[in-house]
Parts: sequence; structure tokens; C-alpha cells
Amino acid sequence: MVVKVKFHSLFKLNLKSAGINYYIDQPISIEELIKKLDNDFEGYFSEKLLDTGQIKPGSIILINGKNVLHIDKLDTLIEDGDNVTLFPPSAGG
Amino acid sequence: MGFISEIDLLRVDLTNRKIKKETITGDKVRKYLGGRGLASKILYDEIDPKVDPLSPDNKLIFATGLLTGTAASTGGRYMVVTKGPLTGTIASSNSGGFFGAELKFSGNDLIIFEGKADKPVYLSIDGDQIKIKDANNIWGKNVNQSTDLLKEEFGNSNAKVSCIGPAGENKVLFASIMNDKNRAAGRTGVGAVMGSKNLKAVIVKADQKTIDYNKDKLMEVVKKHTKRIKENGVTGEGLPALGTKVLDNIINSNGLYPTRNFQEATFKYTSEVSGEALVEKGYLTNNTGCYGCPIRCGREVELPNGRKGEGPEYETGWAFGADCGVDDLHAVTEANFLCNELGLDTITAGTTIACAMELYEKGYIDKDELDNGPELKFGSSESIIYYTKKMAYREGIGDELAMGSYRFAESKGHPEFSMTVKKQELPAYDPRGVQGHGLQYVTSNRGGCHVRGYMISPEILGVPEKLEPQELKGKPEWVKTFQDLTAIIDSIGMCLFTSFELGLEDYNDLVNSGVGFDFSPEQLLKVGERIYNLERKFNLEAGITPKEDSLPARFTEKPIPNGPQKGNLSKYKEILKEYYELRGWGQDGYITKQKLNDLGL
Ligand code: SF4
Repeated sequence: MVVKVKFHSLFKLNLKSAGINYYIDQPISIEELIKKLDNDFEGYFSEKLLDTGQIKPGSIILINGKNVLHIDKLDTLIEDGDNVTLFPPSAGG
Repeated sequence: MGFISEIDLLRVDLTNRKIKKETITGDKVRKYLGGRGLASKILYDEIDPKVDPLSPDNKLIFATGLLTGTAASTGGRYMVVTKGPLTGTIASSNSGGFFGAELKFSGNDLIIFEGKADKPVYLSIDGDQIKIKDANNIWGKNVNQSTDLLKEEFGNSNAKVSCIGPAGENKVLFASIMNDKNRAAGRTGVGAVMGSKNLKAVIVKADQKTIDYNKDKLMEVVKKHTKRIKENGVTGEGLPALGTKVLDNIINSNGLYPTRNFQEATFKYTSEVSGEALVEKGYLTNNTGCYGCPIRCGREVELPNGRKGEGPEYETGWAFGADCGVDDLHAVTEANFLCNELGLDTITAGTTIACAMELYEKGYIDKDELDNGPELKFGSSESIIYYTKKMAYREGIGDELAMGSYRFAESKGHPEFSMTVKKQELPAYDPRGVQGHGLQYVTSNRGGCHVRGYMISPEILGVPEKLEPQELKGKPEWVKTFQDLTAIIDSIGMCLFTSFELGLEDYNDLVNSGVGFDFSPEQLLKVGERIYNLERKFNLEAGITPKEDSLPARFTEKPIPNGPQKGNLSKYKEILKEYYELRGWGQDGYITKQKLNDLGL
């Protein structure tokens, strides 16, 4: 099973990477995904996305375009073929 | 120049070439603050809301905010308030840069332009020397040329200029007023009103940079705010690095990035035209800021062909990009430069071309009408540049496009293809994907607009808290609060982007400490509500009925065809009555007598 993770904004510019794919045997939670990312990017993602174990206000984690804050937050399960998109707190207008 | 709460205004009668100074004090300032609020009050009192916007009977007001020129973060802004030619509503357009602060330093908080000059003129403010001067040799020049020529004639390169380009002179209904070359009072066609008065520019140089206010007290508050603004991930890091164009991928990934005249809500080539691409392609040379701004979201850009300028901002890049189906960042940036130079509102310019593209592809525009110009097909980067020029100079089909998409589509027998509210084009968020923002569009007092109550902030970005975008419950209250709060920010002369960190209590602290008022946060919010209702009252008296609180049928009848928001429609009709009720208006959308009394209107 494959999960595609896309980086945008400062994540993309700072890491000079547009994303990463993970091959998984069974569905994993967002929390577990962040651990995987931390392994590959030296703890970068938990620092940027989390604040005392919760999703940092303003950070955006989408599964197939849906914000996980309106699903199961960090417990939201990622399944085969899902696209995860990550943004640091951002705004404009 | 008196204390900050005394508003010194300049009344410029262009017909008779007379300039008069006046002062406003007391209650009016407490009730309307400055900027958008006070200028709206003056406009309402002094013109018949039914006037033809492009006639000499309309007035054009340049208004600095109550705190413009003080130490308040981003306190350099001014508003242009008039009756707008695109919408027929009250029009107020906000701009940053350095012009607003300089105007304030010169001792003029506000300028009211009346009548019409018999030939092109400009207003020159050189300290105490205020004159109406001949603009014959500048008329016809673009914004950059005009700015340089005016400074040369003035004899001081530090003078600040606000002017119109050819589009304003030609009364394009969505012409902007540009200051400091690249900053725009962009929307609602304020530039056309300036052009109709034969007023090319205002140039100002103050003798000194001091104004009388409670500086020490204000500084205490500002210091704390600045620290928070700098530490905030959005205002301290995201906006400086990526500007507003950080939004392209966010809005697209959330499935509400309007594409090909709002036919779809995701754009396959977003990465190509995004804020990240602007950095990666090496176009971005620097970030810049307006007066007193710790955020500095402006983009200084140089294209591979050597052309330099500022932008594109998110809305601009989208209007000429995804909305026209164009994936060429070079062309999009070039179109943005052109709009700045010619003095056009980028959102309406781009989206009017997008509307024309849909009409052309559906067979409602003949090829002959294009006068051998490029075909108006989605994806044509040639078209966005070609027709932008044609609009500004009103040449060929550009003369029709210069009326904006609503009048244009109507003239082709198909107004339903114009993505407008009250004849002003919608910005870069599909209302089918954000229910509160859709309600905000229909109730905005200046027509389709995102900066009258930026609901994207809670509904998508999670600031100050994350709301589910499709949820209806609670949204009318949020919209009302955001609209009233924005009216305050626009009236005190600060940038809306500060609100990604600051809240009502913070703005209240600024006003109270700097000016010496004793508002409670609730009282200040009531000032915002008063301003909002006054604007609504103006519009109702101008003949804009609540029937026009509506979205184009596409958004309530055609579901989003694909992407994360597939199948969604705008449900604003289900919450509009609740919004009216919360505002204390009748079920019919008219303001009740009781509400008017309650607000002292
Ligand atoms: S945040 Fe951007 S637009 Fe606002 S004042 Fe600062 S530089 Fe200007």
C-alpha cells in the first residue's frame, strides 16, 4: 500500500523536497505518519506541526483535501492510495 | 495640526479650483474613527446616493486612518471612498505603501475632491503650499512614468505620489488608484471616478514627520504587538517568505481554487504558478513592506526578460492564472505588471477575461469581434496580456471588456457567466467550498470581495480557530463579527493582515492608548457595526436592493464537478435570513428603524 505525502510552502522550500511516498502494510494514523517523517527529516515535522502533542493552531494537515481536524485529528487513519498534504501555519488574502 | 483626534481636512473644489481647510472634532470621530468609517459618513452626508458615479456630483475622498502615521504596526494605510462605478454601491478601497503616512504628516487627514476640472490637473501638497496644477504633460502616461515625472516637476524624489494610469483616464469601470507605483487602491473602480474628475494625481511632501498623539502610551502597546507578530508563524515567517501567494497550493488542495471562470475548483498546474514557484524559478528578488510594517509581505520580482516590478499577489496570480486556465507564471506576472502600470484592478481584469473566455468557447462571441487578436481560449497566455492592454485603452473589444464581466456578459445575452456579486467579480475562493465566506460575498457592501470579512481565515486556515467549511451553524455570527471588525481596522488605518495575530482587544488597546479614548472592546465593535450599517444604508438608498444579496446561479445549482469538494453547492440562502436577523435587520434585508436609532444613524 502506498501513501503519498506532499510538502508545500516553507516545508517544500526549506526541505527542498516536494514530498515523499511511504509503503505501508496496514492503515496508519497521522500521528504515526509524523513519526515516520520525523525519522526521515530529523524531527522537523513534529516541531513544525505539533504543539504539546496536539496539532499546532494554523497547521494544515489534509487527507485527500479534507482537514484532519474535522475527522479524527491525529488519530485519523490513512489508507492505501490516500494523499496527505502538509502546510505550516499560513495565511494571505 | 492639532491632536490626532482632530481631523483636518482639505476640500478641493476642482470645478472652481478652490481649496478650503476644515476641521472635524468630537463626536463624529468617536463614532466613525477615520479612514473608511469617517469618509463613508462624509460621503453619505454630502452626496445623493443616487448620483451617477462618473458625474461631477460624485465626490472622491482620500482618507487616512485614525492611527495612520503613528507607531502602530502597519499604520501607513489610507482609503479611497466614493460611489463606485462598477457596482453602484459605496466604494472604498484600501492601500498601503508610504503615501498615506506622508499625507497625514502633511497635516491633512483627509481630502475631499468635488466637481470636475475642465482639463487634466493634479493636486500638489508641498508642506503648507497646496496647489492645483496643470497635468497636461502627464495625462496619458502610465503609473511609473507619471510618478517619476511628477516627482521631477516637484523637485523632490522623496515626495509620495498617488495617481491613475491610462485605465483611470479612460474611465475603465475597474480602474485602480496606484500609489508609490506598486500599491493599489485596487477594487471597485475608484480610478475611474478620479479620471472622470480630470484628476491625474496627488503628490505630497510633508515638512516634518511628526503628529500629535500619545506616543509613549501607544509605543508600550505596539512593542508587545510587534513581538507577537514577529513570533507568529504566519505574520513572522510565512507572509515574509512567500507573500500572499502561499495560498495557491492551500486553496487548491482544499478544493476551492476557482478554475476556468469557476467551472471547476482545482487547477492541475497550480504548482507552476504558485508562490513557491515564484521563489523556485528565481523571479523573487526581495520582500518589501509598507510604512511601519513588521510583516513585509510585498514581492519584488524580476523576470528573465529583465522586466521588474512588484507582485503577483495571490488574487492577481489566480485571476490571470487558474481562472483563465493559464499555467505560465511569466505571463501571469507580466499581466500583473501591466495592470500596475496601466492602473487596473487585477482581480476584475483577469476574471473579466476569464468570463470572456467562457463566452467565446461556448460560442457567444464571434471570432470577428476579436479584430485579429488572439483567440479567447482558456490557457492562452497571449490573451491575458493582449486583452489587458486593450481594456485599459478601450480598444476594439477591450472597450466592452472595460465595463467588467457583468455588463460584458449581459451585452452578449448571458449574464449568468459573470461570476459577480453586485456586478463586482468574486476573488479566488469558490463559495461552494466555504459556506461562511459565501455568505460574506453576498453581504459585502462593495460587492464581490474577500476583504470585508475574510472567512477563509477560520474556515480554511484555522485562524483564530478552525471551523468546518461546510458547516452552516454559527457562520452568520462569525461573518457579522468579521465584517464589523474589518470596518474598524480599515478605519484606524492598519493592514488587515495584522488580524492574523491581533484581535478586537488589541485594536481597542491601540485606539485607547494612542488617541486617549476609553472604549470597551464591545463599544469599539459597535463602531464597526455602525460603519457597516451606514454603508448598507447608502447602498439601499442608491437603489441596490437586498435582492442583490445573491450569488450567480452557478454556485447554487451546479455542484463542484471534481476534487475534494466534489458535489458541494453554496447554501448561503439557508443562512441569509439568520444573518439579517442577527444584524437587527428585517426579514426583507432592510435595516429596521430600531437598529438605526440604536446605532445613532
Ligand atoms: S502586511 Fe503586506 S500589505 Fe500589509 S502593510 Fe505589511 S507589507 Fe503592506
